[in-house]
Amino acid sequence: MGEDLPLAGTRVLEIGGGLPAAFATRWLAGFGADVVRSDAAPEGLGRDEQAALLPGKRRVGVGDEKLRELALAAEIVVEDGAPGALAARGLDPRELRREKRALVIVSLTPFGQTGPAAHWRAANLTAHAAGGILSLTGIASRPPLQNGYSQAWMLLGLNGSSAALAAYYGSLAHGEGDWLDISAQECAAGMLEYYGPRAAFDNTPAVRLGNRVNCLWGIFPVADGFAGVCALQRQAPAFLNMTQDPELSDPRLLEPAYRLSNDAQIGDRVARWFRDKKKLDLLAMGESNKVPMGAVMTPLDLLANASLEERGFFDAVQTPAGEARIPGRPYLGMDWRAGELHAPAADTEAVLADWLGAAS
Amino acid sequence: MKKLPLDGVRVADLSMMWAGPFATRLLAEMGAEVVKIESPRAWDNVRTLLPQPGAPEPWNTSYYFNDYNRDKKSLTLDLSQPRGRVLFLELIARCDCVIENYRADVLDKLGIGWDVLRETKPDIILVSMAGFGKTGSEKGFVGFGPIIEQMAGMASTTGYGDDGIPYKTGISYGDPIGGMAAAGAIALALIQRRKTGKGAWIDLAQRETMAQMIGPAFAAASLRGESPVHRGNRDARFAPQGVYRCLGPDLWVAISARDDREWWALARAIGADDLASLELSERRERHDEIDRRIEAFSARFLPREAAELLQRAGVSAAPVQDMNSIHQDPQLAARGAWIELPQARMRTWKQPASAWRLVEAKPKLRRHAPLFGEHNREILCGLLGHPEGELAELEAAGIIGNAPIGAREG
Repeated sequence: MGEDLPLAGTRVLEIGGGLPAAFATRWLAGFGADVVRSDAAPEGLGRDEQAALLPGKRRVGVGDEKLRELALAAEIVVEDGAPGALAARGLDPRELRREKRALVIVSLTPFGQTGPAAHWRAANLTAHAAGGILSLTGIASRPPLQNGYSQAWMLLGLNGSSAALAAYYGSLAHGEGDWLDISAQECAAGMLEYYGPRAAFDNTPAVRLGNRVNCLWGIFPVADGFAGVCALQRQAPAFLNMTQDPELSDPRLLEPAYRLSNDAQIGDRVARWFRDKKKLDLLAMGESNKVPMGAVMTPLDLLANASLEERGFFDAVQTPAGEARIPGRPYLGMDWRAGELHAPAADTEAVLADWLGAAS
Repeated sequence: MKKLPLDGVRVADLSMMWAGPFATRLLAEMGAEVVKIESPRAWDNVRTLLPQPGAPEPWNTSYYFNDYNRDKKSLTLDLSQPRGRVLFLELIARCDCVIENYRADVLDKLGIGWDVLRETKPDIILVSMAGFGKTGSEKGFVGFGPIIEQMAGMASTTGYGDDGIPYKTGISYGDPIGGMAAAGAIALALIQRRKTGKGAWIDLAQRETMAQMIGPAFAAASLRGESPVHRGNRDARFAPQGVYRCLGPDLWVAISARDDREWWALARAIGADDLASLELSERRERHDEIDRRIEAFSARFLPREAAELLQRAGVSAAPVQDMNSIHQDPQLAARGAWIELPQARMRTWKQPASAWRLVEAKPKLRRHAPLFGEHNREILCGLLGHPEGELAELEAAGIIGNAPIGAREG
């Protein structure tokens, strides 16, 4: 079974112990790589983070000398230490690359390996602030607002995961790996939708719009929580027709310019229309009218979601606190394995034997 | 010169808006040849979503479109016409991957579903990235990034905490997340194909990749029945943490004291020596009071000044970059994180360089986003070997074109 997994036979070493490296290697483990995590002391992940991000990984506790040997036995190394931290431990990425040309090294940091802020201290919030997304989130009359669940670090980890795969393919195809220097700040700065390019082009500032981008794009209170619509010009006729609200059936509302100049008034009417509806009814209306409609779902809602169940989205993992259900394969179409949680350093002896052919 | 990882990989890109184009931007940055396919009658809406006032050819002069489609080639093909589909399949025979983010039923309706593609090129890789996937009882839902974020649990985790309101991210967050995952999925499928010789059909539901971004929340929910707590800008583990007002309208600095040492340094830096010995539990209890003391300090400085001063003191701090200040950020400038790509119809502006910084291969972005149909001749005649004379015929039939049919001039 394991041999059929797309990354079967691929050795990945995770060094660092933070969220970015843990998330970056999580999918690699699920797709069959032998991911070995060099545990940090003290453990940097909370218990829920461990439950979600460590399944399927073997865990070792080794000194720097052995760690270097493991790095050279790996195809991919993912680390999220401070710039220079790896070199200080005798694992300089440039030297490792010189010794093993096929090796892919992925370094994940808040600001990158170089530059005047490379050594800045960073928490998730401050890294998020530096990348620009924070300034756009929330409402204009209040401070910028962070997303839940450490999005600067998760975003960095996701970039690390996909970049590692691209570089590893390059290593297989061309015989040469590389060292990837990925910064959380740059990851965010390159995905600022149209707000970033617009400011770069003509200095137009962006205002925090809260939950209402325009009259047909927003999140509104409904009878049982919050729900939303995101109708672009193509979907506007279907949405307005769907409401069966006489005020929203005015043909002038089909014109973007008219909507723009009456945005607040129309938006208030749309909000009133939403107010007494229920989330599931709205979703059904969206589906039958081909209108992008959403409802604010909580993790508990999603654990009970029939569609996710049908698609086999969640994995079960045994934790010291009981069985947790966590996101499993990120997409269908490639074989995946749900992994088990290992104890810190539990696999040291086995990994040294498997990777280095030596007893500890 | 060192090859880029995806040198030699050709991608047929049917995707539109943001999620798919973001994926193919990443693939292009990694060296893939990306052929963006649009119909003269159904073009990528982003080309004309925010036209420059008065600009001629608005479909070729959008900074928004340009930022996410540089380094790609443009082929126009009306896939609703049989001849368009034939040409498309001729191209597929010379491609490694196809990517699409249509609604779940559209590819089949166009007659170019998985079975047709696989028959044309047995080892083809197809990535379908409908919002809710190709299967399951919600496959018919229509999803853009802002919808995905609500439906994946993300919005439920974000809020100020005192108003009970969940907040959307300031960008359509579901889109780039889906795009990043899709780019990795293509690389993974290429790796598998090298081993097995087989292609793959990847069914990527953007809702599911987005839900991965709050993975620990599902552990909390399933183990303890917990729902997300809106903490504003505070942290469950650290205190104090927040976003603090600086000198000037809507200017802010983010500060986090992650341990006793950083708190001690922060307290000293803001002149709150009397609070420096507070332990974490006390800092949590007196967070509002501490916030007021921090803001009394930060309000005297510009965000960068405050951040630099605190960094020198040993505190995690950073300016909250807005859309203008981020383009002047010294760190990003020093790293060459902005580039300018000449485009004949527009002046240049700062576009983001590749965030996947290959230290040795040093990828250089090659060119601006393609003009509409700019590479029709190169692909149809050069790659597929059709005679030049056929182009006029195809154009007359509306199968190809160099301007969207029905788009408004600026």
